[in-house]
Amino acid sequence: MNANPTRRLFLRSSTAMIALPPLESFGFRRFASAAPAATPPKRMIFLSFGYGVTESSWYPDVTKTGPDYKLSPGLEPLAKHKADFTVIQGLTNKFANEGHWGSTLWLTGANRYAEPGQSFHNSISADQVAAGHLGQETRFPSIQLNGGPATEMGGSGHGPGLSLAWDVRGKPIGGFDTPVDAYHRLFSTDKTPIGQQKAMLAQRRSVLDTVRENAREMQQQLSKKDNDKLNEYFEGIRDIETRLGKEERWIGVPQPKTAMPEPKPGMVGREEIRLMYDLMVAAFQTDSTRVFTFRQPVKSLLPSIDVKVHPHDMSHYHAVLGEKLDASQRRDAAQSELLAGLIGKLKATKEADGSRLFDHTCLVYGSNLRTGHSLDNCPTVVAGGGAGIKLGHHIVAPKNTPLCNLWLTLLHGVGAKVERHGDSTGLLKEVIA
Amino acid sequence: MNRFTLLLLGMVVAPSAVAAENDTHAVVPERQRAFLQAHCQKCHDAKVQKGKFRVDDLPFAIANIETAERWQKVLNALNAGEMPPEDQKQPPCADKANFLDDLANVMVTARKSLGDQKGVVTMRRLNRREYRNTLRELLGVEINVSELPGDSGNGGFDTVGSNLFMSSNQFEQYLALGREALDEAFEKQTAAGVQKKLRFEVEDSLAPITKFVNTEKDAHDRGKKWVDAVMAAAAKPENKAVVAEIRKTAKDDAIFRRSWAKIAGAPSPESFGFDTGENNADKANRAANMGGIHSYYQYYLKLPALDQGAYLTLAQQDRVNSWLNLQVPFDWPVGNYTVRYRAAAVEGSDPQRRFMEFGINPRHGQVHATHEITGTMAAPQIIEIPWTLTRKHSDRSDRTLFIREKGTNDHIEQVRRKFAEGVKQNGVGPTVALWVDWFEIEYKPASAKPTAPGLAALGIPLDDKSKPPTAAEVRAAFERFAQEAFRGAKPTAGYIDRLQSLYDTRRTAGTKHSVALKESLAVVLASPMFLYLAEPASEKGRPLTDLELATRLSYFIWGAPPDTTLRDLATRGELSKPAVLAAETTRLLDDPRSAGFVNGFVYQWLGMDRLDFFEVNRGLFPNFDNATKLAARNEVYETFAYGLRENTSIRDLLKADHVIINSVLANYYGIKGVTGDAYRKVPVPKDSPRGGLLGMAAINLMGSNGERTSPVERGAWVLRKLLNDPPPPAPANVPAITRLAGKALTTRDRLQAHQDAPQCASCHRKIDPIGFGLENFDAVGQWRTQDSYQVMDASGKPARDVPKLTWTIDPSGAMHKGPAFKSYFELRDIIAGKSDAFARGFSEALVEYAIGRPVGFRDAALLDDMQRQVKAKDLAMREFIHALVRSKEFQTK
Repeated sequence: MNANPTRRLFLRSSTAMIALPPLESFGFRRFASAAPAATPPKRMIFLSFGYGVTESSWYPDVTKTGPDYKLSPGLEPLAKHKADFTVIQGLTNKFANEGHWGSTLWLTGANRYAEPGQSFHNSISADQVAAGHLGQETRFPSIQLNGGPATEMGGSGHGPGLSLAWDVRGKPIGGFDTPVDAYHRLFSTDKTPIGQQKAMLAQRRSVLDTVRENAREMQQQLSKKDNDKLNEYFEGIRDIETRLGKEERWIGVPQPKTAMPEPKPGMVGREEIRLMYDLMVAAFQTDSTRVFTFRQPVKSLLPSIDVKVHPHDMSHYHAVLGEKLDASQRRDAAQSELLAGLIGKLKATKEADGSRLFDHTCLVYGSNLRTGHSLDNCPTVVAGGGAGIKLGHHIVAPKNTPLCNLWLTLLHGVGAKVERHGDSTGLLKEVIA
Repeated sequence: MNRFTLLLLGMVVAPSAVAAENDTHAVVPERQRAFLQAHCQKCHDAKVQKGKFRVDDLPFAIANIETAERWQKVLNALNAGEMPPEDQKQPPCADKANFLDDLANVMVTARKSLGDQKGVVTMRRLNRREYRNTLRELLGVEINVSELPGDSGNGGFDTVGSNLFMSSNQFEQYLALGREALDEAFEKQTAAGVQKKLRFEVEDSLAPITKFVNTEKDAHDRGKKWVDAVMAAAAKPENKAVVAEIRKTAKDDAIFRRSWAKIAGAPSPESFGFDTGENNADKANRAANMGGIHSYYQYYLKLPALDQGAYLTLAQQDRVNSWLNLQVPFDWPVGNYTVRYRAAAVEGSDPQRRFMEFGINPRHGQVHATHEITGTMAAPQIIEIPWTLTRKHSDRSDRTLFIREKGTNDHIEQVRRKFAEGVKQNGVGPTVALWVDWFEIEYKPASAKPTAPGLAALGIPLDDKSKPPTAAEVRAAFERFAQEAFRGAKPTAGYIDRLQSLYDTRRTAGTKHSVALKESLAVVLASPMFLYLAEPASEKGRPLTDLELATRLSYFIWGAPPDTTLRDLATRGELSKPAVLAAETTRLLDDPRSAGFVNGFVYQWLGMDRLDFFEVNRGLFPNFDNATKLAARNEVYETFAYGLRENTSIRDLLKADHVIINSVLANYYGIKGVTGDAYRKVPVPKDSPRGGLLGMAAINLMGSNGERTSPVERGAWVLRKLLNDPPPPAPANVPAITRLAGKALTTRDRLQAHQDAPQCASCHRKIDPIGFGLENFDAVGQWRTQDSYQVMDASGKPARDVPKLTWTIDPSGAMHKGPAFKSYFELRDIIAGKSDAFARGFSEALVEYAIGRPVGFRDAALLDDMQRQVKAKDLAMREFIHALVRSKEFQTK
């Protein structure tokens, strides 16, 4: 790259050459000069899979740590990438208490009982902290993906939430429920003339002003507690305004082109996961966002790999084994295989400077749920060079080490130097390269 | 961002200090001090503080979150089996179970106490149900709101304000859904004058069926001829070697014939007319194989009265009337339609098969309504079903209405199984049971004047053909609409100004009047005064105003906004008079809209979401088809609704000498003499297991996984819902019991393992016996006396090395520290004897649901008061509601 302070980045892949819009003409010069274009940006991916794993066949032997450990059967499909990911044991969200909430508190580490007078409370998720740091220059600060409508995700062992992401106030953030929806938002071109787009934006602002006026009328008469409740509404409006501000800056910047073909509608289970993975790579290639979360489907994954056992039944294979255990192990293998595909893709995709996309991405794969109702020793795999962690290792942290220590470490690794996250007590030194 | 996070956290956490000073109801019983001292204190005292954890200074009264967290740690460590450490002396099993029992229950109390809102009702937003109902009442349309969050799942009812959140996402969904509802309402109104009717004379199906059957028959004959010719060629001696070669890899004749080209003298399938572009040998083989079905087709074509109607078959395809379709034309408007069909039961047919189901989307759709057919061929009957066409019914399959025999086509395997049964009986296939004369759909013109209050309030033209209204007219329309949407509260002029300016901007930009109008009205439907049930107040509680009371009452009993009558009474200041309030409560309960309470409340109170957790194994339970499931689900609602309508005692929910069923369920339960589709009271004999919730198919299914019963789920459900003695939630991180896996054991022997580990026994000794007492109901609520267990291998097939175990069910047991029972009937009597506890639990649920906050300790007086009042009226259902509505708590902010 030349030293000219331009933010125009070129990402190369085997199939396509994509040019990013010349952002400097839209008031981005300040950012552009601050961030030398020669270094590819850091990116993060968080993947969660609800109903845990098969305890006996997914975890490597705890006595064999370091680089020479033996892969477990559940992780075997990842064998060709063994040097490029690390398995971590011993991590726990100590406040997690619901046996079927695989994702609600996974990235937050919150105590649901922390707030007096409320039976549910959550706090900001790690991806949103990352988005605050990595999401400034991209069209989308972060993108949340779901393996189906939020209302159905309980059936996949994820627990309450609209995606893996929770905002700074601990409120759920929604996401895209299908690959088609996400694809369109990312890559479909808005053909509306610029003038009209601006007028529409102004109109949306007036809508917000109108409802705010109505909220103010109410606010004057409410008790403090009710005002706190109404504040959620104000905050929601404010969030949209922030987003509109960002959209305004991107008006006229065409949606990037991608080599990825438009996904077919109606894909569920394995195909859906694969497509979502493809979307992540395509979005990184076009620098549309730098942070992804994906609450993966389990309920629809099973039929797509010809498993006929009900997902909840599968998660309680322990007392009867047989077909339920088999289902659980086939689920583990299918998920590992898909992950291997994603890692492969990230490696095959080249950044502008010739390095691999994989080298600048920090990928986390896991669940708050180990197996059954067990919430300790959360299954955790970390891959990619984005956060400067040790790869190719099997690490067993001391029992009940806060999972948030890992989140904190990864956040620091990608440059988000927050003091703490959730119930973190410090960095997880064991994983730092 | 981080500093901001911390700042916010600081703001949120601060009130905990306030909570600490309050009295607490969560006290660990003093009797457990000895246990703590004997088994924990040695390492966790002031001196050693192992793991930086002390128990010696742990307060037994749990008054703040910090203390709660410390006790939680104790509970977790014991549940996980981590403490006392393995190398230390272990406490006796019973002592540990008792300690865990006490501590787990105290922790539940503590969480409740620390989460107590102290009687304060947080302003709440309309939950998903109420939002849908409110749009329906306002605009007269039903829209699909499933993309909104369900507002349940955090524990507690969906009316509890503090759990109802709002986000930017949701705001945008409200805007979009409001627009959708307005589109639907405008479209419906525009079509008000239209008249449509379409009748399918189903004898018209005969010609295509005949043609289809002839074509199939012809193909079958040609296929057979080809098969014979190939086999004849293969039999020739000169082909012996090549035949032997092919036979080596071909595992049957059909596969063998694929290689016809290698056999000298064998003709091509193409020469017999099989020319499809796919593998023609396979096509010919298949046609040759389809001999069986032709006798069924011939049987059909010889049936009488085919010139006047058609029979419903089990032919596995719609071309031979496995179902009859009616396609709603694409240019027909949204609105309320009537679907009718005229049908008869075939004389001599199995009475169990005289049921027809109606639905949309025959291949993938659900059953909407099931009707018993009692008409005869001489005097067929007309079935009439109301049905609403909406904008969501936009593709072909969603506009395809179907009727078919009940339980024949839920799934392809089901129809195959039923067909095979028919063939087994008579060699041909299932005889027909139902005959249809015609199938029609009609749209009757509605009033040209809008009846939905929201539209009526507008009072301006909604279309673009009429003369556009003046600015003043539009402004007045906004004002009226907003006040209607805000349940009588007046919006300010500033707000209306902004609405008008939104409209004007759009109009100036060239947008049509109707579109600009809808856009602005959608904003009203996303405004806080619509979305929130606000009760303005300073910090202290105050009596509700009459208008607020009207809103609270109507959302309690209807889950919908107050109607004009209620609002008028409120505006005149009459509603708060006790006699008027009681009369209005009665009126609301009598109104069909009270279904909003029955469905919304019962679903959550009894935890009926579990009904949809599992697919019933249709191979094991062929009788439990989709129509039966729907009927079983409705039995719960209908029984509750009946009690509410007739004001019967809630004791009837525990045990009753009658059931509230329709003919589908009567057929399922084996109760004779019930015809027709309406749910009604049917007496049951004294020795019947039915009568009361415990005997319902839906309740028993909720305590199973669709295949096997779960005594644990059932027992816990009884404790939670009927006995008001909920066990603590299943603790996390308890090691799973795996040593019994792969063994053939009775259910009772398998669950006996719970009693060995104290961390299990502490709860399961209460739960499991009740579940055993219900074992005579199988997974789908049919009565049984035997059960069996088959160990499965990894492929889901019976394990060869472990034989199937069959046993006679022993339902006997004893309540923990309570009476023993020998049978389900004795258990039911014990439970029925605890109607006071049931009533208390019911009251608690009602209070939370109606007032919108969790029941707290300070509600004891209210609950005692309610209990006194309802006991005086023999626990009559309406008395609970009246007592609650009369209470100060219900009438206070």
